[in-house]
Amino acid sequence: MKSFINSFIAAYAHIKANKQVFLASVSSMAMALSIFGLFLFVFVNLSSFFASWSSGVQLIVYLDDGMGKDEQKDFEKLLTKNPDVEKITFISRDVAWQNFQNLFPVDSGFLASLNFNPLPASYNLQFKPSADRVDKIRQFAEILKHNDKVESVEYGEKWISRFETFMVMTRIFIYALGSLIFVGLVLVIYNTIRLSVYTRKDEIELMLLIGATPRFIKVPYVFEGVTMAIAGAVISIGIIKAVHLYLNFQFMDPLASITRGFSFQFFSISFILGFFLSCATIGWIGSFLSINQFLNSYYKK
Amino acid sequence: MIQLFNIYKTYSGNIHALHDISFTVKKGGFYFITGPSGAGKSTLLKIIFRWENVDQGQVLVNGINLSKIRESNLYILRRHIGVVFQDYKLLPGRTVYENVALAQEVIGASKKSIRLKTWDALKSVGLTQKRNAYPLQLAGGEQQRVAIARAIVNSPKILLADEPTGNLDPEISQEILKLFIKANQSGVTVLFATHSQNLLKNTNFPAISLFRGKMTANTDIS
Repeated sequence: MKSFINSFIAAYAHIKANKQVFLASVSSMAMALSIFGLFLFVFVNLSSFFASWSSGVQLIVYLDDGMGKDEQKDFEKLLTKNPDVEKITFISRDVAWQNFQNLFPVDSGFLASLNFNPLPASYNLQFKPSADRVDKIRQFAEILKHNDKVESVEYGEKWISRFETFMVMTRIFIYALGSLIFVGLVLVIYNTIRLSVYTRKDEIELMLLIGATPRFIKVPYVFEGVTMAIAGAVISIGIIKAVHLYLNFQFMDPLASITRGFSFQFFSISFILGFFLSCATIGWIGSFLSINQFLNSYYKK
Repeated sequence: MIQLFNIYKTYSGNIHALHDISFTVKKGGFYFITGPSGAGKSTLLKIIFRWENVDQGQVLVNGINLSKIRESNLYILRRHIGVVFQDYKLLPGRTVYENVALAQEVIGASKKSIRLKTWDALKSVGLTQKRNAYPLQLAGGEQQRVAIARAIVNSPKILLADEPTGNLDPEISQEILKLFIKANQSGVTVLFATHSQNLLKNTNFPAISLFRGKMTANTDIS
């Protein structure tokens, strides 16, 4: 514990004695982390946007007008038996008619000319998200189509299929891009810490000369690397929050009207804590590797 | 105390820094290592505190074969050896006191020990008055005294000096030499590398002479 505190004090003394190097390193890390953080921000918001789209993928089963209450119960049991169905919503003829009427102005001549309800009752089925969701919807639609009490089924097969392909391709692109940015981020952090270690070459060399243990030299640098990474992470979260506020201020109203209530999401507290923890880990690994590599270059003379 | 057996050291580019060097340094002795620039004096000292590895041969310090020491344990060897360089190697951002105290800090000494021993070391080189000054505020001779204080603060058994008077005028050089002699009189084995014949003239310590990496003599100056 005593050596831990001493190392922490030594790290603080390092930072104090090399303020400029520390600030330059933190700035570089903050920039790299901001790029990665902005990517995560886009990712989180795209996911939320796609999730709202995805919830619109459904199978509509129109029922025959002659379906009795007992028959309807049996039919509903058939629907609930399917393990891929996530949610079932029944829309009666009256509700369907009411919804339809709401689409027209009150004094519409068209509605006045219709003196009966032409709309059938229906079930809206939402399926659990999965890679083969379209196939499952198609198969179930085929089964239901042959039921006597079903008037027709509708699920926009082509649109769903294209949407699913788009989602898969988008995910692959996002993960590939994310991996590239992450690797770049790790390299930037590693090299930034390495440079800050090299600026203190003389000090490390002297410590080795006068009998410092490798641990005595390493631990303050590792603390410093972690501090740099966390400071960079705090700044980058601040930058992303500013971007989030700006986007919501400028674009929230037009976007909400176009996309049925979509708004830009910021990271959750647990996500932010995870981000800090990841940055601290990268800082720890980066500084550990840098100082180890540096010390090994001396040992191998 | 220090035994070297058939030491060879070559740097990249096939430069022979040391060629078949063998000698023995007795405990408590004072030895000069002499020779012109490029003779191999610095390399020889670096090998003794294992800053450099040998290509061939064996080095024993206090009976311990240096090639058998693991890299992670080299600090144990270096805590018994004080080293002084021509360029002082002081940290400019630390005061005189802090530079000397650093050697105590790295061995994990208590605060009380750091205070007492640092004060004693500064006193022995006559620099207590300048303890709060920064190295760049001192003259060359004073900076070298700080380096000597740092080298002796942990009470080493061996003191290695690599051209410690190389940047100093003859008068100051004599004063620096006296500090090493004083350390030697307290039982420390000293190896003093220099190309200055003037320093050797007024003493009767043995000298190991090198020329282009080869030993040309191992003589008693007297």
